[in-house]
Amino acid sequence: MKTLNRVTLKRALAVGISLAGIAAGYQVFAADEAKPAATEQPTSLRISPSQYRQSITDIFGSSIAITGRFEPETRDEGLMAVGARTANVSDSGLERYDDLARGIALQVVDERHRATLISCKPANAKAADEACARKFITETGRLLYRRPLKEDEIQNQIKVAGDSADKVHDFYAGLSTSLSTMLVSPNFLFRYKVVEADPAHAGQKRMDSLTKAHQLSFLLWNAGPDDKLIEAAVKGELQNKAGLQRQVDRMVSSPRLEAGVRAFFSDMLTFSDFEVMSKDPAFFPRYTLKVKDESQEQTLRTIVDHVVKRQGDYRDLFTTRNTFLTRSLAALYDVPLVETTDNGQPMHWQPYTYGENDPRAGILAQASFVALHSPAGRTSPTGRGKALREAILCQMVPPPPGNVDFKFVQDTTNPVYKTTRDRLTAHRSEAMCAGCHKITDPIGLALENFDSSGGFRTTENGVQIDTTGDLSGVKFDGPIGLSKAIHDDPATVACVAKRAFAFGAGRSPTTNSDDWKQIERGFKDSNYNFVTLLRQIALSDMFYAVPTQTVAAK
Amino acid sequence: MNLAKLLTRTALVAVPLCLSSAPSMAETRGYVIGWFSTATYNDFHANCPQDKNGGGLKLKYRNLMEIGYSEAEAKSIVDKSVVNLGDDINKRINTRARVNGKPANVANYPEAVADPNIETVSGRYAFGFNLGGKNASNKFEDPDSHDKIDNQLWRAVGCTESFRATPPEQPYPEELSWATLVDSAPGWSIMVSGDNLDKDGPVTITLDRLLQHVERDANGKVMWYATYVVDPSPRSHNVFKGKIEDGWMTIDEGSNLFMLAEHPFYLDIGLRNAHMRLRNEADGRLTGYWGGYTDWQKFAYMYTSRPANGADYIGLYHSLKKMADADPDPKTGQNREISATFRMEGMPAYLASLDGKIVATPVRDKQPSTVAAK
Repeated sequence: MKTLNRVTLKRALAVGISLAGIAAGYQVFAADEAKPAATEQPTSLRISPSQYRQSITDIFGSSIAITGRFEPETRDEGLMAVGARTANVSDSGLERYDDLARGIALQVVDERHRATLISCKPANAKAADEACARKFITETGRLLYRRPLKEDEIQNQIKVAGDSADKVHDFYAGLSTSLSTMLVSPNFLFRYKVVEADPAHAGQKRMDSLTKAHQLSFLLWNAGPDDKLIEAAVKGELQNKAGLQRQVDRMVSSPRLEAGVRAFFSDMLTFSDFEVMSKDPAFFPRYTLKVKDESQEQTLRTIVDHVVKRQGDYRDLFTTRNTFLTRSLAALYDVPLVETTDNGQPMHWQPYTYGENDPRAGILAQASFVALHSPAGRTSPTGRGKALREAILCQMVPPPPGNVDFKFVQDTTNPVYKTTRDRLTAHRSEAMCAGCHKITDPIGLALENFDSSGGFRTTENGVQIDTTGDLSGVKFDGPIGLSKAIHDDPATVACVAKRAFAFGAGRSPTTNSDDWKQIERGFKDSNYNFVTLLRQIALSDMFYAVPTQTVAAK
Repeated sequence: MNLAKLLTRTALVAVPLCLSSAPSMAETRGYVIGWFSTATYNDFHANCPQDKNGGGLKLKYRNLMEIGYSEAEAKSIVDKSVVNLGDDINKRINTRARVNGKPANVANYPEAVADPNIETVSGRYAFGFNLGGKNASNKFEDPDSHDKIDNQLWRAVGCTESFRATPPEQPYPEELSWATLVDSAPGWSIMVSGDNLDKDGPVTITLDRLLQHVERDANGKVMWYATYVVDPSPRSHNVFKGKIEDGWMTIDEGSNLFMLAEHPFYLDIGLRNAHMRLRNEADGRLTGYWGGYTDWQKFAYMYTSRPANGADYIGLYHSLKKMADADPDPKTGQNREISATFRMEGMPAYLASLDGKIVATPVRDKQPSTVAAK
């Protein structure tokens, strides 16, 4: 972390990118090399791939293709959004960002897009044009850097655009070069926490308005602030309760809230793990690549419909019988889904409600959970139980010891231990394994009706599956029983509140504070309305608490 | 009977039946057809003892010799060619037909070139049905039923190298066509209705075309348990009364079958005096055979319209014409139909009517969906 931005800058220069104005406005105060404490305020956060994509889409529109790979993310405190505080940019990562930037910049200035994305025309398209370049750089840079550009930054970018335009006799090529340098700038790729003197409390600091603006917008929209929010920040309106509330109310009622909710739950439910998850097609032929993608979308649609559109009780996500399916997903789940569109048309998402007596309900019964947390050829109640504890209940499960013997667990054709429960029982007979498995297996085994791909089954190797289990002393039978237990467990709501805060702040909340207790109370009083929770976090003082190590305005 | 007559007859029969869609019986199972091809009986040495036809290589020799090269010259040209014989030679081969004294494409005018007399099947076995053919020397023995059966289509094509296929392999041209069109051509469905489909008794078998193409699974095969909407058009709606006996499902004799295909190999399948023999496989598939008399020219067209598949399409054309065994043209005496049998596999599926009602459900809990088993 200490050398992060300087190294990034040097390497950017080494590959020939002019980043002259990038660091001009800020001085980086080094954070400690060691991993910060969970509640420690980060000084900077690298924007995630989904935030990068969302930002580009918001600024330039969805017709700009973003092709290429991003720097890998790391998960901390259960979230990539928290891992972002220690994220660096490697050599290869910078090359990736550079490729992405060039690809985007070329599209923005191409003949198809320039008329709508560039709000001026050069006097001569074959030469540099300072006035038009200034207009574009000022307008676009403000959204990319999430703040108005300083005059020296603008001047530097005009020079980059002008030099390049003169060299190739093309104004738009010059503009493209300038845009691509802004897209690899740390000012775009990182969010900095900037503080200023707090006029209301002598000798104390507060987060500056523009930092509050992007903290707010990344929490609610998973992207940088729009023009109105930047404007409000520049006017200082976010430093008073009424001004902040006006913006939060506007943002919460915006359709862009859906993007924020999707990003948060994708992160919380560890959907990034889908990138390294596969199924054995010999045993799970209905689990196609399309189904893999659609299973994530199924869960996100279920969540958005329930918590944003219906403003329902968060806990009901685990028991709801309402979901959305495509024909491919319906085939995986072995349920009928009629679609009468013409042959060759893309499949449509359709609302689907499981019957009252159906043994499936809630997002834990969806392939995005049960398939994600299973190996390629068999189920893993331990993996599912661990995921449930960690992602849904925010409870830590210790890692297995290095010398653990998996001989029983992995022998899926053992003639004596025909079911996963049998094999785990044999495995638990070893004392070193028993402790942790008590935490995970009783809840994971309740999901054994779902095979490794998410398909429903009642038997395994010809033997009826026993799905009894318990969670914190609450006994139940099967996935419906488990989903009710999760619904009723106080840790479920406490966890989502902590995660939502951490998603926006890049750190876990201090849960013994009055501020936090008020947020929790408000969440409960709203019947666990998730949007209300987001609103309360966005309006709370603790969300904007000043980092102990900060980036100070020059 | 020509195709137009068959179409008309089928449509007239089908219209009143399609109004009631699936029969209301105790159980109706749904399938989407996931495999369909000419029924092959792959015992090449017994079928074709002369081994005369060869494959694509021998066909090149024959074609070159037909346009005037000696056997040695033909071999030399083929040996020197990398991928094909070159534009000039190909053009001469392709336009070696003469129509009104002018060069014409042989695929368009197969009658305008001599019959190469390719070898036809002389073996004992072929899959099929006794369609009532009177010529005893034409009869094969069905390896399953051991009935004497009529399948002159197999006799005509069975010594062509690309038909040396044993299911699940399909004859090459049909496999190629299936693999490329399965993702866009509307699928076919089968509904089987009866009081208890696991026991002997009467059944009703309904064939339909679907509004959607089949869905593929992770292995590129047809996905199980997907839902399809049945095309309400009467043209490809076929209802057959039949029975299950000793595990075999058959239909009453005397029906016609017609299915539109939108498929470059099978534009459609029309069978007069249709027969079926199907069974439930332990894994849940419905497999078996459809047979009957079909338009031989239509089958031949499948080859002459797409000649680049290694088969001697001119030879096949003439063989099919010679082997045709039904429906003589009143003017020329040339038979217009040929006895034929096709093999099919149905994969369990949900079938729905256009109004969203589920009219057939799949066999349950058959496809492996659990842990790996030895």
